[in-house]
Amino acid sequence: MPKHVRLEAAVPWVRLTTTPEDWKAADPGLLVGMLAELHLIRAFEETVLELAGEGLVHGPAHSSIGQEGGAVGSIIGLRSSDAVNGSHRGHHQFLAKALTHVSGGRFDPEQLVVPKVDEVLQRTLAEILGLAQGYCAGRGGSMHLQWFEAGALGTNAIVGGGVPMGAGNAWAQRHAGTDDLTVSYFGDGAVNIGSVLESMNLAAAWKLPFGFFIENNLYAVSTEVHEVTGEARLSGRGPGFGIPAWQVDGMDPLAVHLAMEEAGALMRGGEGPAVIEAEVYRFFHQNGPYPGSAFGYRSKDEEADWRGRDPLVRVATELAALGVLSPEQDGALRSQAQAAMKDVASRLTEADPEQAGKRRIRPELWPDPEFVDVGVRGDASELDGATVLEPLGYEGETSTRKFVDAVAGVMQRRMEQDERIVVLGEDVHRLNGGTNGATKGLAKAFPDRVLGTPISENAFVGLGGGMALDGRYRPVVEFMYPDFLWVAADQVFNQIGKARHMFGGRNPVPLVLRTKVAMGSGYGSQHLMDPAGVFATSPGWRIVAPSTAADYVGLMNAALALQDPVLVIEHVDLYPLNEEVPVDLDYQLPFGKAGIRRAGNEVTVISYLSMVRHCLEAVEQTGVDADVVDLRWLDRASLDWETLGDSIRKTNAVLIVEQGAQGTSYGGWLADEIQRRFFDFLDQPVQRVTGGEASPSISRILERAAIARTEEVVAGLERIVQGMGQRS
Amino acid sequence: MPEVLANTSEAAIQTWLVRTGETIAIGAPLAEVETEKAVVEYSAEVEGTVLELLVGEGQSVRVGDPIAVVGDPSEARSPDEAPAAPADEAQQPPQEQAPEQAVAPEPETAPEQVPSPVADTPAELPADDATRQPGGRLFASPIVRRLAKEHGLDLARLTGTGPSGRIVRRDVERALAAAPPAPAVPPAPAAAAPTPAVQAPTGTDFEDLPLSGMRRAIARRLTESKTTVPHFYVVGDCRMDALLEVRRRLNEVGTVKVSVNDLLIKAAAVALQQVPDANAIWTGDAIRRFRSVDIAVAVAVPNGLVTPVVRGVEGRSAGSIAETVRDLAERARAGRLKQQELEGGSFSISNLGMFGVREFSAIINPPQSAILAVGAAQQRPVVVDGALEVATMMTVTLSADHRVIDGALAAQWLAAFTAAVEQPFRLLV
Repeated sequence: MPKHVRLEAAVPWVRLTTTPEDWKAADPGLLVGMLAELHLIRAFEETVLELAGEGLVHGPAHSSIGQEGGAVGSIIGLRSSDAVNGSHRGHHQFLAKALTHVSGGRFDPEQLVVPKVDEVLQRTLAEILGLAQGYCAGRGGSMHLQWFEAGALGTNAIVGGGVPMGAGNAWAQRHAGTDDLTVSYFGDGAVNIGSVLESMNLAAAWKLPFGFFIENNLYAVSTEVHEVTGEARLSGRGPGFGIPAWQVDGMDPLAVHLAMEEAGALMRGGEGPAVIEAEVYRFFHQNGPYPGSAFGYRSKDEEADWRGRDPLVRVATELAALGVLSPEQDGALRSQAQAAMKDVASRLTEADPEQAGKRRIRPELWPDPEFVDVGVRGDASELDGATVLEPLGYEGETSTRKFVDAVAGVMQRRMEQDERIVVLGEDVHRLNGGTNGATKGLAKAFPDRVLGTPISENAFVGLGGGMALDGRYRPVVEFMYPDFLWVAADQVFNQIGKARHMFGGRNPVPLVLRTKVAMGSGYGSQHLMDPAGVFATSPGWRIVAPSTAADYVGLMNAALALQDPVLVIEHVDLYPLNEEVPVDLDYQLPFGKAGIRRAGNEVTVISYLSMVRHCLEAVEQTGVDADVVDLRWLDRASLDWETLGDSIRKTNAVLIVEQGAQGTSYGGWLADEIQRRFFDFLDQPVQRVTGGEASPSISRILERAAIARTEEVVAGLERIVQGMGQRS
Repeated sequence: MPEVLANTSEAAIQTWLVRTGETIAIGAPLAEVETEKAVVEYSAEVEGTVLELLVGEGQSVRVGDPIAVVGDPSEARSPDEAPAAPADEAQQPPQEQAPEQAVAPEPETAPEQVPSPVADTPAELPADDATRQPGGRLFASPIVRRLAKEHGLDLARLTGTGPSGRIVRRDVERALAAAPPAPAVPPAPAAAAPTPAVQAPTGTDFEDLPLSGMRRAIARRLTESKTTVPHFYVVGDCRMDALLEVRRRLNEVGTVKVSVNDLLIKAAAVALQQVPDANAIWTGDAIRRFRSVDIAVAVAVPNGLVTPVVRGVEGRSAGSIAETVRDLAERARAGRLKQQELEGGSFSISNLGMFGVREFSAIINPPQSAILAVGAAQQRPVVVDGALEVATMMTVTLSADHRVIDGALAAQWLAAFTAAVEQPFRLLV
């Protein structure tokens, strides 16, 4: 009979409930503030539902009515420099943070809606209606509410999607030497998604001042929490990761407040993250003005039971019992809140002249349609005045370096000069510079700024995104292999790529993502992609792909200076090459300038990264008189259209060369642009060299057959020559 | 239009040898067809009655276009019917106007109410469109359409050499190279608006002569040669006294009259045998060295020149060369050379000595790699062993393709040639 010793989690997991003594002990001003915020949020949400019922809210209106107590209780005690981010059901989270920011959490019951409060209500409603005066210029709407000044980092429409970025914000707060904290709000549905669980692990490992606030309202849309987890006490997720956890009645805002005070003390004290599970209930269905029972997934009895625990009623009742606020005064608070919202709505809407008795949005308040793509990325003006050097034709002092040493060298130089730069990724701090030596020497020189991550790309790249949005640090994230972008796709594309534009186009996301193409290394189907094509479809990203070490230095310096997320693509074939590199590592390559590696008249060969050398070899072998254009900058906004155009107008023939598989290839996009921009100058279809259809296999022979090298470029040039017709 | 010559895309009927209504048998001569390089007789491949001649004499059409209708007299069509498919229908795309299809529609479609798509179109086609296949699409790349517009080119007159017959940039460049040069215009002042590439003629003080196929070929081939083949030149003087004496004696005894040029052809062959590396051409991916010596001779013909090839010169006697050259020249002037007589060889000789030209340099005839420009044999003062004397001298200029022939090789060849000329017994072995 084996012996069993019961193990216990290393951290506490508690249920916190309030006693009458707690209510008595509480600051009456705090309690009045809670009730004020609850009333404002309730009236706000009722107005949203009313407008939604009239068809004036485009898209979903996820109501928080019933579950305001969790957000208000946890946020009213926070500083403006503390941060929150939230979920698709985030009006109450955003409003609690914004209202607390403008009021300090203190309200005069006689004069609830002062101008600052009124402005919060109007700009928030305007954003939900998609109007120009909204916090995100109408871009974000109901699900993307961001106001940095108030510490509202942005609500998120991807379940759990905001959590890694919240962790990044907490990292920045801690490493900036503050005792501020960040709280991410998410629901029971998000508790089972990777972003949240990976972030729990990462935040605990790095002891980040980060609160995981679970609003457990029991239903993910219509799916009840017990159906989708074996541990429906969701705060139980915390101890498994070494995170202390609180379970609390979210319909009791004071209980939530007290739990957040305890958790906050740990977080501010450097003890790491906390989990708070607040049991709440949304009185309506996922979306719109009908109760869940109308859809048959919960009973009217259950709903009546929870409505009896309405946090507004709870706080008002306690305040009346304490003799702080009479029921009449509570009624007056509600009346003031309702009147304020009626007034706000009347400023944003008007009688519809075409439909009697109906309202419409005041037409002058819509955003200008011209605004549609503004702020997808920055304008690169941050590079103005930079030290620029064009390695082609450079005759200054150079030294011979291995390409990979230039990779590590320029990063070391930048980290010496710029304390904001932080490197993170798998094994970047060990193995004498990661798996390839690309971060050699950095961990030794900057131990606090070179972070070896857990194997959870989604969490650590998202954490980098949060650092970037915060702005105090410049994250340089490494993906050991490009294919891991799929693992981290939500953070890379939905979050980092879209954050700037989605939240109104003003808040930059300066992040560098490094990865290496490894075709030829035998790592097989899941490690050997070229990521350029996929990133090119995500307009927020800039892409650089250096073919020489000198270009690498200049492009990395530019990438680190840009205010946008930049993908820097490397290639294992280039790492061992000995190259001449200008001695001074502070130069940038000219922004958006391609390099002409060989000038010719018969065809424009367009390539990047390691394939540039294969193109030059192929041109040499075939004797075709080619212009070989090394793109360097690959994304649509940075690409050197002028050089491409000049070349194509001269040659009238185009060959786009890349190494990887067809499906995710880069050239399809570029070929499409070229044929539309330069159609009248083409003498034959745009030709392309790519790898095969499938990802490269591990077998050496099959891998070679799956990718493009010099021989495939030769074949491509031969197709071009055929297309040129007879010489005589 | 049959593809009578390799690589020919267009040809003209020079003379019809049959008339409408004539009955013909397979093999009967139908027409003389003129291409860029030659006039050849085209014989019937089918038998029947000539129902219609679709192409007028002197008119140029694309290879594959119909030129005549041959069939049974009962098939003769009324003038407003569409042109019938050519004799070799198999090579033609199906044509919507084919009579069989006109009767095919389903009854419900009430064919009598649908006007025939062809009934009233052909007669109204402008003459310029005569070369376009009725209803056929013209495939041209975007840059070609742009260039055609800029230069006022009729694309229907071009033949595409790109994939599936697409007209590509090179086809336009070829056509432009063959087109008449723009009338000279005084250079515009720097600030003036750009002058149109081709100015429309307005005066009557000149005459535009239509280009013959041969003129186009000369313009195209020699432009390409001079602009793409890296020419260089070596010049030498040959003392001719001995050779002239040999010629005189030969003509005293022989039945065939041997010209100086015939002996120079022989001398060139001897030199090519002695310096075999010069008997070679550039193929793009190799240097092709020939075993036999084939030499082209430039023959002036009305409005141009042709360069028929004398084959196997190394094995021929002077008399045989003379006979062959005379035959080729006569047939060249009559426009009766066959295409294969114009192809091959690595070397040409162009002799303007009979016009008194002292010396000149010639343009290589692609794909050959050299041409010898021969001037007049003249009495000149020469210094021999320190003493002045009078000798009959001839200056020759070798134009060589540097891709194949380097300077030293050219010099070597010229030395061998000079030796053969000055010691003419070498020509007789």
